[in-house]
Amino acid sequence: MTNHWIDLRNSDRIMIIGSNAAENHPISFKWVTAAKERGAKLISVDPRFTRTSSKADIYAPMRSGCDITFIGGMIRYILDDMQKSSPSERAEKYNMTYVTQYTNAALIINNSFEGALESTHPGLFGGYTASKNGTPGILGSYNKSTWNYADSTTPASDPALVNNTWTAWEDLDSKCVLRLLWENYKDYTPEKVEEITGCPKDKFLEVAQTYAESGAPGKAGTIMYAMGTTQHTYGTQNIRGYAILQLLLGNIGIAGGGINALRGTSNVQGSTDMCLLSHILPGYLQVPIHTDQSLDDYIARAKKGKDFITPQGLAGDKSASWWWYNDADPNYKKYLVSMLKAWYGDNATAANDFGFNYLPKVTSGDDYTHIGTFEAVAAGIVKGMLVWGQNPAVGGPDSEGERKALEKLDWLVVSDLFETETAAFWKRGGANPGSINTEVFLLPAACSYEKQGSISNSGRWAQWRWKALEPIGQAKPDLEIVDELALKLKELYTSEGGEFPEAITKLFWDFREGAAEADPNIAAKEFNGYDWTTKTALTSFGNLKSDGSTCSGNWLYCGMFDANGNNKAKQHDPVDKSLNQIGLYSGWTWCWPINRRIIYNRASVDLDGEPWDKDHPVIKWTGSITKWAGDIADGGWNPINLSAEGAKYLPFIMHREGVGRIWGDGRAEGPLPVAYEPWESPLETNLLTGVEDTEANGTPGFNDPCCYIGKMEMDGQVWNERGTPDNYPYVGMTYRLTEHWQAGQMTRNLPWLIELQPQPIAELDPVLASQKGIESGDIVEVSTARGSIDAVAIVTKRFQPLTIGGKTVHHVGVPWHWGYTGQCTGISPNGSSGNVLTPHVGDANTTIPEYKTFLCNIKYVRKGGE
Amino acid sequence: MAKAILYDATKCTGCRGCQVACKNWNGLEAVETYNWGSYENPKDLSTQTWLKMRFIEKGGTETDNMRWLFARQSCMHCTDAACVKVCPTGALHIRTDGFVALDKDKCTNCGYCVEFCPFSIPRLDASLISGIGDKATKCTACTTAGLNRIDNGYQPACVNTCPTGALTFGDRETLLSAAQDKVAALKSNSHPNAYLYGENEVGGTHVLYILDDTPKAYGLIEDPKVPAAATAWQDIIKPLGYGIVGVVGLGLILNIMVARARIISREEK
Amino acid sequence: MKDIERFRKRAIFHHWWIVLCSFLLAVTGLFMFMETLSPGAMGGYSRIIHRFAALGFVAVPIIYFVLNPKTSLEWLKEAFTWNTDDIGWLQAAPEYYFGGPEENMPPQGRSNTGQKLWMVVVIITGVVFVITGAVMMFSGVSGVAVILHDIAFIAGGAMFLVHFFLAVFHPRMSEAMRSMITGKASEDYVKSHHGKWYEEVVAKGEQS
Ligand code: HEM
Ligand code: SF4
Ligand code: SF4
Repeated sequence: MTNHWIDLRNSDRIMIIGSNAAENHPISFKWVTAAKERGAKLISVDPRFTRTSSKADIYAPMRSGCDITFIGGMIRYILDDMQKSSPSERAEKYNMTYVTQYTNAALIINNSFEGALESTHPGLFGGYTASKNGTPGILGSYNKSTWNYADSTTPASDPALVNNTWTAWEDLDSKCVLRLLWENYKDYTPEKVEEITGCPKDKFLEVAQTYAESGAPGKAGTIMYAMGTTQHTYGTQNIRGYAILQLLLGNIGIAGGGINALRGTSNVQGSTDMCLLSHILPGYLQVPIHTDQSLDDYIARAKKGKDFITPQGLAGDKSASWWWYNDADPNYKKYLVSMLKAWYGDNATAANDFGFNYLPKVTSGDDYTHIGTFEAVAAGIVKGMLVWGQNPAVGGPDSEGERKALEKLDWLVVSDLFETETAAFWKRGGANPGSINTEVFLLPAACSYEKQGSISNSGRWAQWRWKALEPIGQAKPDLEIVDELALKLKELYTSEGGEFPEAITKLFWDFREGAAEADPNIAAKEFNGYDWTTKTALTSFGNLKSDGSTCSGNWLYCGMFDANGNNKAKQHDPVDKSLNQIGLYSGWTWCWPINRRIIYNRASVDLDGEPWDKDHPVIKWTGSITKWAGDIADGGWNPINLSAEGAKYLPFIMHREGVGRIWGDGRAEGPLPVAYEPWESPLETNLLTGVEDTEANGTPGFNDPCCYIGKMEMDGQVWNERGTPDNYPYVGMTYRLTEHWQAGQMTRNLPWLIELQPQPIAELDPVLASQKGIESGDIVEVSTARGSIDAVAIVTKRFQPLTIGGKTVHHVGVPWHWGYTGQCTGISPNGSSGNVLTPHVGDANTTIPEYKTFLCNIKYVRKGGE
Repeated sequence: MAKAILYDATKCTGCRGCQVACKNWNGLEAVETYNWGSYENPKDLSTQTWLKMRFIEKGGTETDNMRWLFARQSCMHCTDAACVKVCPTGALHIRTDGFVALDKDKCTNCGYCVEFCPFSIPRLDASLISGIGDKATKCTACTTAGLNRIDNGYQPACVNTCPTGALTFGDRETLLSAAQDKVAALKSNSHPNAYLYGENEVGGTHVLYILDDTPKAYGLIEDPKVPAAATAWQDIIKPLGYGIVGVVGLGLILNIMVARARIISREEK
Repeated sequence: MKDIERFRKRAIFHHWWIVLCSFLLAVTGLFMFMETLSPGAMGGYSRIIHRFAALGFVAVPIIYFVLNPKTSLEWLKEAFTWNTDDIGWLQAAPEYYFGGPEENMPPQGRSNTGQKLWMVVVIITGVVFVITGAVMMFSGVSGVAVILHDIAFIAGGAMFLVHFFLAVFHPRMSEAMRSMITGKASEDYVKSHHGKWYEEVVAKGEQS
């Protein structure tokens, strides 16, 4: 979240899309409700009418996977409205100062850039190369050389836009970002939106108009999203769509605004920060690749193309981005060296590049994400696996395939509270234990109440939790398990040697400091960082050094400790000392970066440092002596118009150009999102790009042109087949229920929760149900090209058939919580997890699986009941 | 000072945290259920389920927007509590704060409360033939002896757990006036049927509902009444019974005195 | 003075058995009737007693009926056979029972009008008790049943008080009490209180 949970209450317009916050983040509704009490309007956009929708002022149905069409339609609505309004009206309805001064809307893009909708390459931008047809893997890739600014270091801006004098699109430079945005979305008319998403035009317009009202200066709109957005082959672009919308409406950086990713578990934010992703090191530093032979190579590669960009013609003239501001001794290097020092301690010296070459490096081009890893397991490349706090046999896409892949392992270690489906994969329905040679170890882990440590919530707050109970039986906290494991590995590598032992033997590993067990407080101090010689805690990442005199396991968390070594994640000041009590509660635990509760908060004030929204000021300039009041300002410099330093710092300090990116060149499949169809779509032609689906494994331009098509082949059987609308005519989707948690082990072993949702369900609309002779409570079979599950049918008007491109499309929804172990199991022997149905395909940028949309069929099996 | 629980259905997301918190605090067991084509479960209140959320679907047609309503089903803590009226032992009684408490030690399992509660709330699990089994149960607003949150300064478990603030606890007066304002606001804001349930029902209840529609839409009983039979029984027949027996008794005492005297005097004659 | 057999042994047993059951039923019923007495309900265990007593209350009369159908029917017939003498009795009874002279009392059968009245009440309330009680026991408490049960209790209870009082305390009824214990009543008493029956008995005796 750019903002945080409590801040939701400051919103005037809340759009929940790709999320069912009421059901999956119940506590968020404390603040959504508070906002509604203030008069905020709540919009729910979802293929099905959820408990979130039940509280919404406006509910708009939408075919699963059509976010870009929907959001593109909203962007078009706003742009159209901007253009049609007179300049003064425009400035009243929209914060044009924000749009032009704080985003790259006015900047001019490379003249050779080719838009996506031209006849030569429909649905694709210029510079695309498709991979070999029919082969799994990435569908294709782009040469991005034309995606940058016309002048790559000092881009010009369009004066008519900046000065708000334009009235027609032709008044703007044809390559100015706002104009290109219009070109990209001008076909996303309300009629088109209705045709593709199935959302009635009037509903769509009601949503667009209501949400656009948050664009007025001083008004705030927030987007709450979750896995419904991300789990698509174009999930990242869905989010880009939201970001663009929010920038156009001046909603980033302000109280009650932001784009707010609701994390799927209590500590997803923390695990991401700490690098439980394959492409990063802690603190979002890049992972080294095989060509990084030295620290300098790594730094040079990481820095490549990161020069400052200074937009011309704007009031501000400098990015405050600090990663590279000192070329000779860039901050990036200080963070990495401090991390290496934390990892390798005295073994990290200037002479050995601070142990840089002890770090594991990835082969660039290989996929180390969940999908890639399981393909490697299936292919026999990965021989052993540690599964920790995860249950891929239920949670993984095409999960029967992933279960099968586990059979290829020599050994499998599962650390969990219960015997999960993953740990029991060898005795699942249909498997023959006698022919499976995987040796499985189950380590009993302590649950969250049985250990202490910190979690970082979606609002980036690191919150310490204390132990309430002793772990049951032999269960141990994760830290103790990993500590014992690491020490044993060190011992074995020291005594027996092996392949590249230094990576382990040189580790500085002391989380006990003489005690019998590892202590999370020691780990916390290490990732905060301290002076290597005096061992005093560092209070800001500004203090980190690249000479090995400081250590910090994660620079983002540097500052969690105060100078006396107190951990601020443990502080609980219940008094809100923020301006106008907007709910920052800055004394309640601690958040990164440096306790800034709302990031990009310099965008919440005008050029003079006055908050756009006087009632909900995040920060406020109080004069050259007292400076900023409120939240920790994004950089302490003066407001742009009152600059004292010479440089007039732009608000988006993470960006090289200092402004928010409506146009962004970082994504694989384009600088602006284009509406593609899911891998499995009920349509034959993409109704926006006009591209037909001709290829068996996905067609660029019909589908996302850079998405990842997975494939597993085991024992002569090909997994991850692609279904077609004639065999699988309905749109399937997976989701969670309030009553169960993720892959279900923690809730399917809790009778009070089993009582609430005792059986897997499949939800469908009454029209489809009557066609299929299905009644509520019947047992039905839902099938896809990959597998089938049995579930109890819930026939409900909360599901409605949609008319898409003239044809009727039905949705079938299945939760994925169920499995085949524990006190409450599914109906079919495979455990009835919705993921038996989902495809092994991934997002073009992150490879997150497309769990949320696929093609399926449904049929009656038998009567249900007691 | 009269206390109350305020349930604001417009804020409720049907998460059922309250339903589980109730079981957790009161040590009630999970009921074995199956999915009967609904999110709602268990199907009914029982001795192990004192509070349940109802899920009601409305609309979903061209003309009528889809609505998914959630409604709390649990004891209303009536001021004119029929259950207390008919309870022969005083096991059910009204506390000074207005909550209808239940003293299980006194309960005899007779089931009169089950029969007469206009909201069909109390449950007991006794063999009809022997009359023995689990005592009557119902929500006590967390005033059950040994599990008394209220008198120890805590709010009821359901209120404590409610994430959205749909449930609040406090002085009835205060909650009532807040609820009146909210309902008035709802009425003027496209919810003409908004209703404050419990304000006047059965003498005013100590669980108040803010509804954006009629009680009927929420599956609540419209205009609940203490059953006439309960009133007739407890307020007419029983007093009359005492009266008759009293008069007869007095008459008999008089009789013996007079008769003795007269017989003796006659014998003396 | 000669005694006349008024009740056979089994009739006496039957009477006292009903008294016992009724007593238990009434007491355990009272625990459920009066809140002040409710501790007597022992958290519900009194209700078991009530149920066993109810069983006795139903079973024994049925057995008695089966074993002595003729007497029972006669007795029933007697209880429900009313004539002008009974009206006369009812008119004269208050005066008599308040110690007035006996002369005005019309002659009575084996049971006098008061006793017949009591029998009628016992039978009617008994039936009401049984039906409503059975309803509550076998299909659960229902408002109508429990209220009728209570009305029966009140009516029966009030009448019982009269019956009990007369039987135990009334100076003129001591003989009746004796007859219910021993089965016999003095000829004098029978002659004066149950004139009609005395004649019947005498007539019968002469025949035999
Ligand atoms: C066959 C005969 C009877 C049956 C089956 C029966 C059954 C019952 C039942 C089921 C109840 C409800 C309470 C409970 O479950 O324990 C009850 C209550 C009661 N019974 Fe009976 N009963 C019978 C005869 C009598 C008699 C003969 C009396 C009095 C002489 C009596 C007096 C009462 C009273 C006073 C109550 C309590 C009602 C109240 O709470 O006001 N019952 N009986
Ligand atoms: S709702 Fe029923 S149980 Fe609760 S106080 Fe009212 S009458 Fe008694
Ligand atoms: S806890 Fe609150 S929001 Fe959840 S169901 Fe209960 S009343 Fe509704």
